[in-house]
Amino acid sequence: MITWPNFVSQCFNGLALGALLALISSGLTIIYGTLGVLNLAHGAMFMLGGYAGYVAYEATGSFAVAVVAGSLFLAVVGVLMERVIIRYFYSRPAEDQILVTFGIGICLVELVRLVFGSLSKTVPPPSWAAGISSLGFMFYPTYRLVVVGIIAVALLALFLVLFRTRLGLIVRAGIEDSAMVDALGIDVDRVFMIVFGIGAMAAGFAGIVNAPVVSLTPDMGDAILVQTFVVVVIGGVGSFTGAILGGLISGEILSLTSMVDPSYSGVMLFAVMTLVLMLRPQGLLGTRSQT
Amino acid sequence: MSALLEVENLNSYYGDSHILFDISLEVAKNQVVALLGRNGAGKSTTLKSLIGMVRPRSGQIRFDGVPVHGLKSHAIAGLGLQLVPEERRIFGSLSVEENLVLAGLTAKSRWPLDRIWEIFPRLRERRRSRGTELSGGEQQMLAIARALVRNPKIILLDEPFEGLAPIIVRDLVATCRRLAEAGQTLVIVEQNVTAAMTLADRVYIINNGHMVESMSAAAAREQPELLHRHLGV
Amino acid sequence: MIGRLMIGRRPLLVEGLTALGLVAAPFVLPPLGFAPDTVNQAVVWGLFGIGFDLLFGYTGLLSFGQSAFYGTGGFVAAYLLTKAIVSSVILGLVIGMIAAAAAGYLVGLIALRRTGIYFAMITVAIAETFFFLENSPLSAWTGGENGIPGVPAPSFDLFGIHYRVGTGWSMYGFLAICYFIGIVIALRIVRSPVGAILRAIRENPSRAAAVGHNVHGYKLTAFIIAAAYAGLAGGLLGVLQAFMPPEAFTFDTSGQLVMQTVIGGSGTLFGPLFGALVWLSLRDFLQAALNLGAAWKLALGLIFVLLVCFLRRGLIGGARDAIGFFTGRWQTGTADTIATPAPTAPMATVGPSRRPDETPFSGPVIEARGITKSFGGLVANRDINFSVNQGELRGVIGPNGAGKSTFFKMLTCELPPTSGRIVFHGRDITGMDITAVCHLGLTKSYQINQLFNRLTVGENVVIAALAERRGRFSLDFLRRIERVPGLATQVESTLSLVGLAARRDVPVAELAYGEKRRLEIGLALASSPSLLLLDEPLAGMSPRERAETVSLLKNIRRGRTLVVVDHDMDAIFELAERITVLHEGAVLAEGTPAEIQRNSLVQEAYLGGVAA
Repeated sequence: MITWPNFVSQCFNGLALGALLALISSGLTIIYGTLGVLNLAHGAMFMLGGYAGYVAYEATGSFAVAVVAGSLFLAVVGVLMERVIIRYFYSRPAEDQILVTFGIGICLVELVRLVFGSLSKTVPPPSWAAGISSLGFMFYPTYRLVVVGIIAVALLALFLVLFRTRLGLIVRAGIEDSAMVDALGIDVDRVFMIVFGIGAMAAGFAGIVNAPVVSLTPDMGDAILVQTFVVVVIGGVGSFTGAILGGLISGEILSLTSMVDPSYSGVMLFAVMTLVLMLRPQGLLGTRSQT
Repeated sequence: MSALLEVENLNSYYGDSHILFDISLEVAKNQVVALLGRNGAGKSTTLKSLIGMVRPRSGQIRFDGVPVHGLKSHAIAGLGLQLVPEERRIFGSLSVEENLVLAGLTAKSRWPLDRIWEIFPRLRERRRSRGTELSGGEQQMLAIARALVRNPKIILLDEPFEGLAPIIVRDLVATCRRLAEAGQTLVIVEQNVTAAMTLADRVYIINNGHMVESMSAAAAREQPELLHRHLGV
Repeated sequence: MIGRLMIGRRPLLVEGLTALGLVAAPFVLPPLGFAPDTVNQAVVWGLFGIGFDLLFGYTGLLSFGQSAFYGTGGFVAAYLLTKAIVSSVILGLVIGMIAAAAAGYLVGLIALRRTGIYFAMITVAIAETFFFLENSPLSAWTGGENGIPGVPAPSFDLFGIHYRVGTGWSMYGFLAICYFIGIVIALRIVRSPVGAILRAIRENPSRAAAVGHNVHGYKLTAFIIAAAYAGLAGGLLGVLQAFMPPEAFTFDTSGQLVMQTVIGGSGTLFGPLFGALVWLSLRDFLQAALNLGAAWKLALGLIFVLLVCFLRRGLIGGARDAIGFFTGRWQTGTADTIATPAPTAPMATVGPSRRPDETPFSGPVIEARGITKSFGGLVANRDINFSVNQGELRGVIGPNGAGKSTFFKMLTCELPPTSGRIVFHGRDITGMDITAVCHLGLTKSYQINQLFNRLTVGENVVIAALAERRGRFSLDFLRRIERVPGLATQVESTLSLVGLAARRDVPVAELAYGEKRRLEIGLALASSPSLLLLDEPLAGMSPRERAETVSLLKNIRRGRTLVVVDHDMDAIFELAERITVLHEGAVLAEGTPAEIQRNSLVQEAYLGGVAA
């Protein structure tokens, strides 16, 4: 039975999920736009962020510390991954890049499984955001509202980094023509490393912020990775704004379809992706040169 | 006086296609050097080899006494060599000002933007426009300005006049002449021989990847039949 | 060329060795610690992988969505058999396979709209959707999370004896027969013209289209074949386990298939089976013997990453390279070789195309009528009129930025003109695709070599010659390539025309640059064009190579119509009868070489018309 509060609450769920997908997808899409590498380990990084936050939370009892430590840890993981493996794949075929990031993702998942076991772990929301809030006409879990806020702030921060800082300037130029950026005296290799770190950090941050809403399992990244792909196909690969738009659309599709029949939500998401591919194959905001 | 840029026996390839054969040339300080040749002769490849966008297989490049062959582009650019590439390659999603700021980020000494606006008043008017919104002539101005911002010791200009209307070419040639008179060292690759010859102090001619002539611009002007043989039809 | 000789002289050697290996397995493997169930699972994975290898290893399409077809085939077969709608297990399996192939067709239509990373992402998303469908909306039929239990084993009545397949090695016998049939068919495909074209698509899809093959059609074919193999394997999984598990549909299944194929060696057909054996034995060994529990998959992940980094061709490919290294011979192997048959007919020179359906036509071979091309606001070509007569050799020159390459692309239908018509042999070809005009007899050689790099010189020419012999799309995937009529003669005469007959079995990667340039022209010649366009045939050549190529062009031009764009004035003026000069996107002048040399407009265009 679809009631008005039910509908609004599903819209909120969709917004929360959409914001989450937008953040993860923007990490994926920035990496692809700049480096030309599709990172299949991105879902594993989302998962790893959750676990890193879990460890930090268990050690300190502070959710804020967990968020910071989890994201920083993932930035380090991203940088290491780029330096040790990915950079040797820039000149190799796209298939090889896909295979190696896929393999790295498997390794990360299995490593976590080895250390933490397959049983799920939970991170509680911070005490000030526990419980339920009244929105006047309905009640809604407080932390879910907080998630939307936190992720909006993170997306804004990412936007500011991209559009208001020197690094962002270099990244936007690098997406267009990295060889020319290099010829202007800027070490593009180092920029690639930083971009990979930022992309991994976005996934990790999403992972830890999302942790109180779900329970952590080693393979939780798989489903997210698939949804992230749909988001970037809908939004347009390499487009930051496309990732945000695609994320929000996808989140709402999943939530609103669930309201009618949860089992059709994935199918509906795919149907929309197919429709976009038919009508606008490059994605809604996809024009390779746009950030 | 030793040359600012010395190139000896440079050999470059695209994939396994041999493009440059034992190219040697010298550029002195404050000099304008024109590198001429038909299209496909290897002029652009020479410039790209100098800036490190193409890695030469063999040969020596010394810039200001420092061997630079095999270095990456950003390291060579850091020493004070700057390329204004063929087809301009400005960043279309960035505004005019952002293009210039980006170029200046790692420069040791940087031109203030006001000085750029003095040379190219048109760019100041369009400072907030995206690169893709500029006309061809404006894009070329921006490409040259982007090099100037870094206050380079040498600017390499690859076909700066290509595809532009005659009146704009005339303006750009005048700008280049002012830069040269102010002491800027230039290496210019052009198909528009007439325009290039009005600027050059020294002329090199490349044919099928080989350096075939090297002479002062004055000597070249006295032998139009020579230019005609190598460049004409 | 051991591999090649094996195919040529003993065509069934690989099949024979496979049969021998499959028969020997139950005797050889148990002492090595393999349980029959492990071997059976590996055989199912191996069969599943044959299709995937045709798709990925041969055609170059990396799909992470094969689980969709594995599951489809499995559940359709399991449903039909458990509900007793179909009584014969074999029939159930075949119907499942057909259902999977049909699903492959539909999915392929969507996924093949894009290439590269998009293709990979779309296949992932589609496979996930199949999992959703199985799990809930269709759970009344599929059992949802419970799967379908009670899938029967096959039984046969042969000569009055009733034999019911049991478990263990008895099941192995049945699976091994299925695998054998699967590999025999796959080997036929690989050795057929279709197999050759699939490899060409892997190496260079745009050139495969340019020499006249319907690339989309063949990609879709490979996708459907892969789906059919997956469907059969999925059905066998149900039969093997007497239960159809919903896990068949998961992303993990697709991932495991990809990993096993890469570990074993993609592009080998046997790689997936080998990879599955490694995978399953490592699992058993690490879990049971070393008590490492969950670590086995981490170990496999690490092995996989290392192989991708350092031994991309997998264990079989690596072993083959090692053998080749130690015996000092380059060996392209048995499964990844296209037979380039020796000629059976007396040598003939490749003449210009004599297409039977061609109506005699007098007039220009090609004619451009007022063609204009603009990109956004930029006009690259403006109102160009151009015509070339039968037998003519026309040169096209112009300073940089004159619009030569745009003009050339419009003539070969790589780019449609914004306005104007292009007429070839009196037929309007405006808006046709490059594959279609190749079949009409118009083709070009590229400025930058567009070769099939991992194939040999002979194989390259075979690919180009095949299109003329069998059309843009033909599903003769059970025919041996040697049986294509006239192919051998055509390949041989093309090779001798471009002076590469002695280099026939050399991989393209080992050719000198000048030889590659000649092969580039050879690819265009092999489709017997009546009009050949050469885009900078002399680009990047040394003076000696230039001289050789100029004499080659003089040789080729006999009986053909040629249009040549090049910067080498000496060569153009030596070769061409008439020259068209383009400048700023329009025709500046046209005439004999002498007229062009006297033309002051042309001189001015070349020397720069702007006095500053």
